[in-house]
Amino acid sequence: MPASTARRLAMLVAAAAFCIAACAPKEPQVRGNRPQLRLLTEDQYRNIIQDVFGPQIAIGGALDPILREEDLVAVSAGRATVSASGFEKFATLGEGIARQVVDPANRDLLIPCRPRRADARDDACAAETLGRVGKLLYRRPLSGAELQRAVETAGAGAARVGDFFEGLTYGLSLLLVSPHFLFIADSLRDEVSPPALTGYAKAARLSFFLWNTTPDEALIDAATRGELDDRSGLEREAERLLKSPRLVNGVRALFSDMLQFEKFVGLSKDTEIYPAFDPQVAQDAREQLLRTITWHLLDQDEDYRRLFDTRVTFMSSALGRIYRVPVEDTVGWSRYEFPAGDMRAGIQTLAGFVALHSHPGRSSPTIRGRAVRELLLCQKVPDPPANTDFSKFNEPAATNLPARDRLKVHSTDATCAGCHRLTDPIGFALENFDGAGQPRTRDQGAAIDASGALDGTEFTDVRGLSGALSEHPSIPACLVQRVTSYALAGTGESFDMPWANYLAEVFRRDGYRLRPLLASIVGSPNFYAVELPVVQTAAAEESHR
Amino acid sequence: MKHRAVALPGSKQSAAYVVIVACALMLAACAPAPKAPAKLAFVVEAWRTAVYQTEYMEECPDGIAIGNDEIWFDSLSPAEKDKWTTGGTQQVLDLPRRPQSYLRGPQQEDVCWSPTAVVDPPMRVVRGRYSYGMNLDGTTDGSPTPKSCAHGKFTDPDGKVAVDNQLYRLMGCVYGYRDKGYLEHHANRERQDESQGIILIDVDGVDDARNDPAVQVRFFLSATPLYFDTAGHIVPFSTYETVRGRFGDTVKGRIVEGVLETDPADVTLPVYGNDAAADMVFRDFRIRMEIAQDGTRAKGLWAGYQTVESFWDYIQKVQHNVPVGQYSCPAMYVAAHDLADGYPDPKTGECTALSSAFEFEAAAAFIKLPSGSPSDEERLAKQLTMAGR
Repeated sequence: MPASTARRLAMLVAAAAFCIAACAPKEPQVRGNRPQLRLLTEDQYRNIIQDVFGPQIAIGGALDPILREEDLVAVSAGRATVSASGFEKFATLGEGIARQVVDPANRDLLIPCRPRRADARDDACAAETLGRVGKLLYRRPLSGAELQRAVETAGAGAARVGDFFEGLTYGLSLLLVSPHFLFIADSLRDEVSPPALTGYAKAARLSFFLWNTTPDEALIDAATRGELDDRSGLEREAERLLKSPRLVNGVRALFSDMLQFEKFVGLSKDTEIYPAFDPQVAQDAREQLLRTITWHLLDQDEDYRRLFDTRVTFMSSALGRIYRVPVEDTVGWSRYEFPAGDMRAGIQTLAGFVALHSHPGRSSPTIRGRAVRELLLCQKVPDPPANTDFSKFNEPAATNLPARDRLKVHSTDATCAGCHRLTDPIGFALENFDGAGQPRTRDQGAAIDASGALDGTEFTDVRGLSGALSEHPSIPACLVQRVTSYALAGTGESFDMPWANYLAEVFRRDGYRLRPLLASIVGSPNFYAVELPVVQTAAAEESHR
Repeated sequence: MKHRAVALPGSKQSAAYVVIVACALMLAACAPAPKAPAKLAFVVEAWRTAVYQTEYMEECPDGIAIGNDEIWFDSLSPAEKDKWTTGGTQQVLDLPRRPQSYLRGPQQEDVCWSPTAVVDPPMRVVRGRYSYGMNLDGTTDGSPTPKSCAHGKFTDPDGKVAVDNQLYRLMGCVYGYRDKGYLEHHANRERQDESQGIILIDVDGVDDARNDPAVQVRFFLSATPLYFDTAGHIVPFSTYETVRGRFGDTVKGRIVEGVLETDPADVTLPVYGNDAAADMVFRDFRIRMEIAQDGTRAKGLWAGYQTVESFWDYIQKVQHNVPVGQYSCPAMYVAAHDLADGYPDPKTGECTALSSAFEFEAAAAFIKLPSGSPSDEERLAKQLTMAGR
């Protein structure tokens, strides 16, 4: 190739690269959220205990759930408090965990040293144990005073009962009920302005977002060395966390929150009507959704939109009875692909989704349509007006009608029609699945008409809904909005919307794949941004007047 | 090389040919693709010997069969009777007493395992007119055929079909085999509670689940635990793995208006219950199963000549439950051979099998058939089963 041609080609390539770079969206800087104290969710609590002490530790009982006040529990956790009875549960659980740690069956593995005498206090061994555990529970090394207090508690207990290990349970219990453990704090660096998170707070933010658990020792040590205070150190650790197999825990937590999976707890159906639906089915239905989501988005690194028309899922023995399909593995899970043209295509057609958004004894096109709108498309559907006359649906004659006939009043009554035209045409398309998620072709003896519509796209059955959903522009936009709010534990209405819009464009550019989206979030300074609330002093108020 | 077009004589004919071919192609293209044959499968939820009963036991004019325990107890002195009763009036059927009733041979032999060790009073058997079952020998009067010995026929309760059911004649007056009896009920409870001896029915080559002139039916033993709903019924559409090699006999059949019927064939089924496991070896086995319209459940009868050998194998294994089942092993052994009506021994001419019928209920299922070749152990097990015939 002549030199002049090569030069021209090189210039062209450079110009194209410049153009692409210039055309790429510019990332907006956001103000950041106010520093928060976020209460651990039950899943986070369980994950931490398992990570710190191992899977042999049983966590009996349940914690008080965090009330979902916004679209995400992750946001509500920033406002949650611990009631007296809630604290009692933490105390009971903590003591139970501590006793298992010092149990002769576990102590050799979980306690790094042997006391000089088992019937007396041994502050050195207690300090070594409590220091190591405390670092992982508090997500930072314990201060000298904190460690001293824990060691003294253990020592006093050991001296009183004449048993080192019994005393150690008191020290461990102390750590397990500490607010430093139970609340994730956005601690700020003292010496910098504008305000910035400490390396430990960044580590916690990263770890809980990507792994839904406490930072591992390597991440805490990186924070101790100050490596998280500069971008390259932060990027290095973020990349490590993103590549870890534990990322699946973080993604499961994200979608559990986004899709409100806490509703699976206690989900039950009328066993006279749906004898196959039992607690095992409810548990497996939730697990199936999560396995389907993580397999597509992480294992296969697929386009997020494929979640809404995929035929590939995972099947357990209990679910085989609901779907009425054979399973490959009768004791565990196996990959399952519905045949081409099957009505099951997309997570919205899986038993977990349709059963969760149904009545105990029948399906509900309205509830299902609302769930699609609110959870998948991030569109708020108003509650029914306070003066709604529900008697039209509760007449005995009405309950024996197919859903489409029973809900006809939704479209004929002007009070109802406004909202129900948003929900019911979506839900009607899911009518081939009964209230337990089982397939059916008839409802109350009548052939099911599963035609419906979604924002101008009409379809004759659920396969059309799957296609319309997977192509709906709000599907990826909603995910970005939720992930952004989840990452920042913010409402998404003010400070993070410009960033969410930017991320939506990045998401599109990267083929709607989740991994690059997560990488973009944790690689951005916005993820770590904080802003202090403006304090209205008396002087400032005076000058304002 | 150029390909030459095939020339048809006459232009009109050529045009007609083209039109016919085009139409044929269009029809072929537009016709629905033939559906791949599908499967139906069922798990047997409960089964029992088909026993026709009337309210006042008209079918048992001699009364309920006398049990091992009664015969043993009658043989005791008054002092010994006191030892085995409470206050001299109430018999105690506790575990220490049970063995006494069957260890009563001259040398304390077990009279179920050695039924000829003693001679008991003759078995009280069914003398009624009606029975559930099928016509196995094809006769209306029970006259001998190459496959059967002379015997009395029953009529089905509708009075329409001549029925062969010598097993019912033998067992129909045994309290443990009747409605409120213990043995059959307990066997079903054990099968369900322990998921043992569960029979699977695999129907292959089904083009139409309601009407299909040719299907293949196979019978397997399940290796997968049963799953029940809160009402105690098996939840339909579970997947079951099979115990490889041991069972799997294939028979031909058809489905007519949702009723599966099979041609006679030799079939071995597993039996489990009353703490015993055995095989039921049938000659001329057949099944009639009514499948519910929604395909979730089925019920019916299976019938055939059960070999006396396999029948007795199970009876002697449950000897510890004979006191509650209430029959005499020696009397039943004699009666079983006397009543046998199928498959005469070529040398002796004595029949070796009992015509029988069993009623069952089943739930829809999926069956995961064994893959690969059976192991040497599995082949040996199959051979042993065959040898048992």
